[in-house]
Amino acid sequence: MIPEDFKQQLQQHIAGVEHPREKVMDVIFMLQDRFGYLSDELLEDAASLLKMTPLEVEEIATFYEFIYRRPVGGHVIHVCDGVVCWMSGYTAILDHLRGRLGIDFGETTPDGRFTLLPTCCIGYCDRAPAMMINRKVYGNLTPKRIDEILEKLGWDITGKRDDTGSL
Amino acid sequence: MTQVLFKNRHPDRIATMEEYRAGGGYDALTAVLGKYPRSKVQQLALDAVLLGRGGAGFPAGKKWMTVAETAPFPRYMVCNADEMEPGTFKDRVLIHTDPHQIIEGMVIVGYSVMAERGIIFIRASYENAARILEREIERATTAGFLGDNILGSGFSMKISVHRSAGRYICGENTAQINAIQGKRANPIQPPPYATEKGLWNLPTVTHNVETLACVPHIIRNGPEWFKSLAAIPTAAGTKLYCVSGAVQHPGCFELPMGTRLSDIIENHAGGMQAGCAYKTCLPGGASTRFLPKSLYDIEMDFDTMKKAGHRLGTGSIIVFDEKTCLVGATLNMMAFFARESCGWCTPCREGLPYMRDILARIEAGDGKPEDIPLLRQMSKYVWNSYCALAPGAASPVESLLTYFEDEVQEHIHQHQCPFSSKG
Amino acid sequence: MPKLIIDGRHIEVAPGVKVIAAAEQAGIMIPRFCYHPALGSAGACRMCAVKFLEGPVHGLQMSCMMEAKDGMVVSTTDDEAVDFRRFVIELLMRNHPHDCPVCDEGGHCLLQDETVSSGHVMRRHIGKKRTHRDQYLGELIQHEMNRCIHCYRCRRFYQDFCGYHDFGAMGSANRTCFGRYADGPLENPFSGNLIDICPTGVLTDKPARFKGRRWDFERAPSLCIHCSLGCATIVSARYRELVRVEARHNPAVNGHFICDRGRFGFGFANHSNRPHHARIAPAAATYADALQAAVNQLTEISRTFGSQAIGTVSSSRAGMETLMALKILASAQQWRSPSCFQDARQRNAVVSAVIRLSPDTAVCLHDVECSDHILVIAADPIAEAPMLALALRQAWRDGARVTVLDPRPVSLPCEYTHIPVAPKQLSAVLQKLMNALLSSPDTPQFPPLRTSDDAHNAGTVSSPSCDPKPDTALQLPLLAASLQSSQRPVIVCGTNIVSGTVVNAAADLVMQLRASRKNAGIFNILPGANAFGAAIASPDGASFSEILTAIESGEIQALLIAESNPVRWFPDRARIRNAFKKLKLLVALDYLPTPVLDVAHIIFPTQTHFETPAVFINQEGRMQQTSMVHCNGMPLSQQTAGKHPPREFRHDVPGAGAKPAWQVLLELNAALSAVNTPLPSYSELWEQIEQETGIAIDRRPDSDILEGRRLRLETQVHLPETPPPDTPPPINLQEDMSLELYPVESFCGTEELSAYAPILCRMEPMPELIMHPSDAAGCGLTDGGMVTIQSDAVTLDVRLKTAAGTATGTAFLPRHRQLVWRQAGSTDSRASLLQK
Ligand SMILES: Cc1cc2nc3c(=O)[nH]c(=O)nc-3n(C[C@H](O)[C@H](O)[C@H](O)COP(=O)(O)O)c2cc1C
Ligand code: SF4
Ligand code: FES
Repeated sequence: MIPEDFKQQLQQHIAGVEHPREKVMDVIFMLQDRFGYLSDELLEDAASLLKMTPLEVEEIATFYEFIYRRPVGGHVIHVCDGVVCWMSGYTAILDHLRGRLGIDFGETTPDGRFTLLPTCCIGYCDRAPAMMINRKVYGNLTPKRIDEILEKLGWDITGKRDDTGSL
Repeated sequence: MTQVLFKNRHPDRIATMEEYRAGGGYDALTAVLGKYPRSKVQQLALDAVLLGRGGAGFPAGKKWMTVAETAPFPRYMVCNADEMEPGTFKDRVLIHTDPHQIIEGMVIVGYSVMAERGIIFIRASYENAARILEREIERATTAGFLGDNILGSGFSMKISVHRSAGRYICGENTAQINAIQGKRANPIQPPPYATEKGLWNLPTVTHNVETLACVPHIIRNGPEWFKSLAAIPTAAGTKLYCVSGAVQHPGCFELPMGTRLSDIIENHAGGMQAGCAYKTCLPGGASTRFLPKSLYDIEMDFDTMKKAGHRLGTGSIIVFDEKTCLVGATLNMMAFFARESCGWCTPCREGLPYMRDILARIEAGDGKPEDIPLLRQMSKYVWNSYCALAPGAASPVESLLTYFEDEVQEHIHQHQCPFSSKG
Repeated sequence: MPKLIIDGRHIEVAPGVKVIAAAEQAGIMIPRFCYHPALGSAGACRMCAVKFLEGPVHGLQMSCMMEAKDGMVVSTTDDEAVDFRRFVIELLMRNHPHDCPVCDEGGHCLLQDETVSSGHVMRRHIGKKRTHRDQYLGELIQHEMNRCIHCYRCRRFYQDFCGYHDFGAMGSANRTCFGRYADGPLENPFSGNLIDICPTGVLTDKPARFKGRRWDFERAPSLCIHCSLGCATIVSARYRELVRVEARHNPAVNGHFICDRGRFGFGFANHSNRPHHARIAPAAATYADALQAAVNQLTEISRTFGSQAIGTVSSSRAGMETLMALKILASAQQWRSPSCFQDARQRNAVVSAVIRLSPDTAVCLHDVECSDHILVIAADPIAEAPMLALALRQAWRDGARVTVLDPRPVSLPCEYTHIPVAPKQLSAVLQKLMNALLSSPDTPQFPPLRTSDDAHNAGTVSSPSCDPKPDTALQLPLLAASLQSSQRPVIVCGTNIVSGTVVNAAADLVMQLRASRKNAGIFNILPGANAFGAAIASPDGASFSEILTAIESGEIQALLIAESNPVRWFPDRARIRNAFKKLKLLVALDYLPTPVLDVAHIIFPTQTHFETPAVFINQEGRMQQTSMVHCNGMPLSQQTAGKHPPREFRHDVPGAGAKPAWQVLLELNAALSAVNTPLPSYSELWEQIEQETGIAIDRRPDSDILEGRRLRLETQVHLPETPPPDTPPPINLQEDMSLELYPVESFCGTEELSAYAPILCRMEPMPELIMHPSDAAGCGLTDGGMVTIQSDAVTLDVRLKTAAGTATGTAFLPRHRQLVWRQAGSTDSRASLLQK
C-alpha cells in the first residue's frame, strides 16, 4: 500500500498533464526510488492512479531496462558493457566486482544490499570503463577505484560481511 | 578553433544563465519572438544548411516547414536527449556545458512551428543532466524566456523533462513519441509523419540536442556565418565529435564540420594510446560502418561520408587499435542491438540475435566457413526492417566482412580468436 | 482509381488500397502474417515482401505498407522477394517448436503452410530455442507462447479493434510475449476470435483440444443463432459431436469475427440429455407409434372440443421451415395459429420493427460501422446483439459519435454518451427529440406515415410521470443538433424492454432524418435468431399469455409446442405449471432437453440447424441458410462413455431418431388430413412458403446463400397494417415508490441455447439485480448485499448492484439460467424488495 501522503504526491504529479499515462514512467520511478522495485502491488496501485489497466502498465514496465519488476538490492550496480568499455577493460572490472561481491549478473548479495546487472553504453565512453550505481555514474574504473566505491557504500571488501551497516 | 556551442565550456562546472546571456544568449530569442514571421526563422535554418545532428542529417528548416500553417493545436517540440548510440556522449557534454542554448533553441524552433509544449526526452543514465535541465528550465522561466507570453510576444511555451527508463529504440523519433505517451516504444512508419500526427495525434517536431543548440547561434549570427564555420565549403557549422577507444585523450571536441578524421584523432584526441596502432574506427557511433584504413584522412561531414559509402551518424568516433579483435567488438555491438530491438519486426527481433549467435560462435572458435556468406546475406536482408535500427545494427557486421574478412577467416580457420589474450 | 500490374495481371483498385489487398483482388495471395484485412497493416512480420519493378517505388518493399499507385509494376515471384521471404520464415522458425504433429494448429496453420511454401526445409539454427511460460487465459483459449511469431495480431485485435486492455504485449526485443498481467480469464467477450486470427498455435480453441484434426472434421458453413444478428460461422463436427465453431467472413454482417457466445455456445447440440427418441410418456416409442398416438389424440380432441381447442406454439429460435410447417399444419387443421412471442408487448415490438423496415431504411451491421452518428435506443448491445458493440466501436474509431438512450447502465467498448431514460419515458423523450429535429430551421418534415397514428403516442405522452427529467431534456437539443450535422446516422432500436410505440418512434426519427436528406438507417435488434421470420409466419398469433388464458378457461385442450420453451421465458412459472396440468394433450417437438419435454405427453426429437438446412431471417431482414454439418445421432463419446472405438457394432446410426421439426409437422398434417395429402419434400415446402409469403430461397448454383440476401421488404412481407396495441410493462416493485422491474438479457447466462453449453455455464457471472443507488437507498438497500424479491408467488434472492447509469424508477434482473426469475410473478403482479 502506498502511504496516503505519497499517493497524493503522485496524484499531484499526474494531475499536471492532460493524459495521465504520459506520467507512467515518472510514477514508476517515484515508486521504485522509494520502495526499491516495482512489486505487483505497486504496479497495480500505479495503474489505478494512471487510469490504466495493470496489463497496460506491465506492457511498459517490462519493456525497459531500469524498471525492476523483481526485488533488487539497496544498491543496483549496472556495469556498462558498451563497446568502448568492452575495449577498455570491462571484463577485468566485471570479474573484480563479481569477486568482491560474490555474485554474478542478475544476482543480489545474500544480505540484500547489492545487485549486479549489465547495462548498455551509458554515454561515458570518454571515461571508460564505467558503471552506474543507483543512477549515479562512476567512470575510469580500476579495481582500486571499485574497492573505494564499494567501501564508501559500506561494503567490507576484505570479505567480512558487515551486516550491521545500513543501506 | 572557433568554439560556438562550447564557448562557455569550463572543465568543472556548468555555465550559468548569466554567463550565457553575457555572451549574447537569449538575444536571438528576443530578436525573433513576435518580430520574425515563422517562415523567416525556417528560412534562416534552411539557408544555414543546419542538418539534424541526431544521425540522419535531415535539414532542420525543411522539417519545420512540414508543419502546416493550418495544422491543429497544441503542437509539440521534442528535444531528443536519449543519446543511447554506443560511443556517443556529446549531448551529455553539451547539457553539462551550457544548457541554456538548448532551451533557447527549443523556444525558437517552438515559435517557428507554434508549438506551445516542449518535452526533453532524456535517458535514465543521464539523471544528472535531467536535473540540470529541470533547474535551468526553472531559471529560464523565472527570467521570462519560458512560460506564458514570453518576453511579451504573446507566444507561450512550457518545457518539461521526460525521463526514459532505458531503451535504445526510444531514440528513434517515432518510437519516442509512443514512449512519451506511455505506450510501448515501437516505431511508427510514416505516413503520416510526426510533424503532422505525432504526440496525441498532433504535430510534433523532434530534434537532437545539438541541432537545437545550433539554432540560437544561427539566428544571431546569420546563415553565412554558420556556413563559414565549416572546414569545407560544402558543409556548415561546427560539429561535436566524440572520440573514444584506443586514443590518448578521449573526449568531445567542437570542431569545424568536415574536419579530417586524422586531424581529430591525432591533434585533438592526442593520437593513439601508447603501444597502439590505428586499425579502424566507427565514425558515427555503433550503427555506422567500420572505416577502412584508406579513409583515415576523410573529411568528417554528412556529405563526404555519404559519398564515400559511409555515414557521419552522430560523429562519434570509436577508435580501434591493431590489438583489438573486431569480431569481438562486432559481437559486443550486435549483442547490444539484439537486446535493444523493440521486438516489432522479424528481421530485427529474430535476425539480430541470430547474427549475434553466429558471431559468438566465430569468436569462440566454433565458426564455419559458411557462416560468412550467411552473415553477409543477413546483413543485407535485415535492411528490410521496419525502422532504421536493424540496418544500423548490420553496418558493423557488413563492413567487418567487407574490410576485415581476413580477421574473420582467421577466427574460423584457427578455431579460436587470434586476439584471445585481449577482450 | 490507381491502375497497376501485379505478376502480369492488370488491376484497378480504389485509392488507398494497399498492394497486398490489390493483389488479393486479382486472385494473388501474397504471404502474410501480421496483415489482416480487418486489422490493417502493421509491417511487423515482413513476410509480404514483393519486388517493385516500375513506378513510384522500386525494389523490395512490404506490400502491406505500400498503397497501390498508378503505374506500379509488382512482382511477387521475383527471386529476391522469394528468397527474402524464405529468410523471414527461417527467422520465424528459429524459435518456433518443430512439433506440428502434436500442435493443435497443425493442419490449419498459416505458419505451417507458409513455411512449406517458402521452401525453408532445413534448419540451420544451432542451440536452444526460446521458451516462455504459458498462462491460464480462462476456459476458452489455450495459450502456448513458445509458438509465437510476434505478428501482433492478437494485441492489435484485442486492444485496438475491441478496446479491451487485459491482454497485450510484454517484454521487449526477442523476449516479447503476449498474454495477461496475471493468469485469469480474458475479459473481452470477443476473445475467441484470437483463435481464428493467430496465424499459428499460440492461441487455440481450448474446448476443442484433442478432438481431432482439421481434416478429420465434417465442416460446413453455418449461422450463429444465439441472437438476431445471424453471424456467419463455420462449424466442425466429428463422431456426431460438434467440436468447434469459427467465424466465417460475411462482409455485410459480422465481417471476420463473432462473439464468444456464438463461438462457444454450441454445446446444446451435444447435450447429454438431448432427446434422441420419440416418446409416448412415460416410455420410449417408435417414431411411427408416437405419430399415430398424436394423430389419434389430436383427432379425438378436435372432434370433442372443436379444432380451435388445439393451440400451437413455436419461437424465434425455430427456422423458417419449422415456423411455416407449423403454420401450414395449423391452418390446414383449423387449429389456432402459432404463437411465437412471449406476450403482446414483445409481439407488438417485433411486428412494428418488421413493418417499419423498408428497403431504404434497413442497414446492415457493416453500414453501422460506416455510420457517423449512431443513436442506440432501448438496447444493451453487448447483451442483446454482441457484434453490434464491436461495430459501434469501429464506427467510433472512424470518428462516429455514439449516443445511448437506455435505462440500463449500458457499457460499450467505445466512447459514448449515455442518457438513462426509463422505458416508459422513452417515447416521450423520442417525441421531444423529434420536436427538436423539427424545430431547427429549414427542416423539411417527412410525410405522415401509416403507422404514425395517434394511438401509439397517446398512452405515454399524457402521463405526467413520463416527462423526461430536466437534464435529459437539456441533452436532447444537443443530440438533435449532432444528428442534424451527421451524414449517415443510424438509429439502433431494441425490442426487449419497450413496446412498438418506441420502435415506431425510432423509425419516425429515421424518416425525419431522411427527409432532411440524411442517409439515415434503422437497425433493430430482435429477440431471437428468427424473430423476423416469426413475425412473418405469425404476425397475428396469440401471445403465450393469451394461450395460457385460453387453457385456463378451457378453450384450449391440447397444445403443440415446436422448438419453443415458454417455461424459460414466461415470467410466471406457477401459472404455466397449472395450465399445463389442465391440458388433455401436450405434444412437444424439440432438440433441446427443455422442461416442456418433462411434462409433455408425446415427444418428437428434432434436428438442430447443424443437422438439417434451416433458413433464418436476421433482424435486418437478411435471409440466410445453414447447411448440414453432420448427421444427427448420439455423439460417439456419449455412446461409448468416452471409450473408443465403440465395442458394439450395428448398422444404424445410434441415437439418430430425430427428424427436422418441419418434417414431423408435415407428416402429422398428412396423417391428420382426411384426403390423402402427399408429404412435401424440402423444396416443395419452400414452394409452398413462397406462395404463402413471397419469400423464396435461392436454388441457383451461384446463389448468394452464404452471405444471405435481404428480403425485398415491402413486397414480400404480409403483415397487419397496424400493430396490436401495447401492454403494460413488467412487474411493479415497491408499490409506494413505483419501481419497475424488467427482465433483461446479459452476455452470458440468459440466452436460451447457450445456457445448455457447459463451458459458458461455467463462465457466466452471478445474476445481479441492478438499480440506481438512490432507488436502492430509497428502499433501504445497499450495494453488493443480498436482497429478496417478494411477491405473492415466490421469494427470489439476488445480489444487488447499484449503478449510477441506471434510470431511476427502474430495476433490472437478468433472465438468468440460475435464477428462477420467472417466478417473480406475472406481468401484472406486484412485488416488494427486502434486504437480507
Ligand atoms: C534506432 C535509432 C536510434 C536513434 N537514437 C537517437 C538518439 O539517441 N538521439 C537522437 O537525437 N536521435 C536519435 N535517432 C535519430 C532520430 O530518429 C531523429 O532522426 C532525430 O532525433 C531527429 O533530430 P535531428 O533532426 O536534430 O537529427 C535515432 C534513430 C534511430 C533509428
Ligand atoms: S500470439 Fe499469435 S497472433 Fe499474437 S502476435 Fe503472437 S503469433 Fe501473432
Ligand atoms: S504482412 Fe506485411 S509486414 Fe506482415
